[in-house]
Amino acid sequence: MERPAVILVGADKGGVGKTTVSRTLLDYFASRRIATRAFDTEFPRGTLKRFHPTITDVVDVTSVPDQMKIFDTVESSNAQVTLIDIRAGLMTPTLEALRDIGFIDMTKRDELTFAVFHILGPSIASLDEIAETSKFLLDARYFLVKNFINNTTFFDWDERTYNSYFNKIPHAVEVVVPKLSEMACEQVELSAVPFATFIADKKANGEPAGNSFVLRGYVRHWLNNVFAEYDRVRLLDLLQAQDLASKLRGSAKITELSPQRANS
Amino acid sequence: MGPCMSALSLDRYIDFRPELSRRDGPAPIYVVCSPNRQVGKTMLARLLTEHYLADARPVAAFDLADEGPGLADFLNRHVTIPNINDMRGQVQFFDGLIESADVPKIIDLSHREFANFFTIVDKIGLFEEARRRSIEPLILFLIDPSPVAANTYGLLRRRFPGTSLLPVRNLTVAKGLPYGASFPHGSTLVVSLEMSVLGPAARALVERESFSFLELGERTWRYPDVSARTRSELDAWFRRARFQFREMELSLMRERILTGLQ
Repeated sequence: MERPAVILVGADKGGVGKTTVSRTLLDYFASRRIATRAFDTEFPRGTLKRFHPTITDVVDVTSVPDQMKIFDTVESSNAQVTLIDIRAGLMTPTLEALRDIGFIDMTKRDELTFAVFHILGPSIASLDEIAETSKFLLDARYFLVKNFINNTTFFDWDERTYNSYFNKIPHAVEVVVPKLSEMACEQVELSAVPFATFIADKKANGEPAGNSFVLRGYVRHWLNNVFAEYDRVRLLDLLQAQDLASKLRGSAKITELSPQRANS
Repeated sequence: MGPCMSALSLDRYIDFRPELSRRDGPAPIYVVCSPNRQVGKTMLARLLTEHYLADARPVAAFDLADEGPGLADFLNRHVTIPNINDMRGQVQFFDGLIESADVPKIIDLSHREFANFFTIVDKIGLFEEARRRSIEPLILFLIDPSPVAANTYGLLRRRFPGTSLLPVRNLTVAKGLPYGASFPHGSTLVVSLEMSVLGPAARALVERESFSFLELGERTWRYPDVSARTRSELDAWFRRARFQFREMELSLMRERILTGLQ
């Protein structure tokens, strides 16, 4: 039996790749033929909407009407997954709002699945965010994402410090998004289409795009690695009924991050 | 190669070129390679390039050697030196390989660039994309007795299972080396490639950077110091090499026809 899932992608810091990770998640669910809708909280301009316009709405997550638009429709929507790309600085306020409206309590009653993809930056401030965020998420699936897409080096981090934060959240799972060549990244940005559409060499209107075969190859290779990571953490289990989900909760192993994997 | 074939029948066989040059279908990509140096990669790439030039057929050759003398030193008017160590260079080179599909591409891959080249090829899916466009990638692997060669050959075979992997025996370095277990033929093409040993005088001549097999035959005045015997030896050597390349092309055509019929 399947049940709806709400996935929050966010970080309090800007420029860590929240929208990129959101885009990979939308591509991942599309590749698994799971109906998904997305909300872009980069109000009013929108960022995610540029890439996935047909399934994305730009919302002001701080306004009550827009909160209703998102959360009151989770179960009635045709989409099984609701993904919310949270703008920089709004992660903690959004979680507070979700707590206040009783949404987080709903997840405790197993009426739906709630997951947070917390995108980490290289600074110590990111580690403090973990402590701040995790207090809301005792009953949520919590993914800590190290995003290497722009060749970020997590130089500020002492491994022991990181582990001390990480270990405070027993159900947290680490996800690694590997590096993608800057040129490939830039071309997909310019194309303003989902990664999968770029790989298929199509424009947004379905016409042939004439993108570089080399860049498409690199994006395909990279996206396959990201999908493999989502498979490793059993992302699709989020959508299973609770009895199965309970068994699986916490079963995804936290793996040591090796430089080879990060750069693959 | 066909050692029993007379010079006359060899000439007639090679003179099938008009049919070959008019053939339909995209031209192959040849990757001439080995993980080791001094096994004859550049020589094979030179022979193959001059084989096309001899028929006045278009050809694009690429020198991925990082030490001289490389392919570009011998055939500089026909050879490009790509840079695959940055993304811009990769886009230019690999995108170019699968565009203008009617031009055969010959890549002389140095032992130092070997791993980098095949890693990129694997990541971007070059061989799959080439085959999708009906371009046949052919890996011409110079075999030698070292364990590295055998291991690498096996690795390529496993990594690129649908791609033609052809062992090439340069008798100067691989005489008596059995193909069998270490270098199994990994292609549907029925062809056996071999480079025979050259005498010292002929060898010294072909290693001159300005040397061209074609010019030796067509512009004899450029080689006034070459004896008739050496000239004859090189002419026969080039013809034998061309005969094998022709067999390879015909085998490729036969495969295309069979695939088309299926």
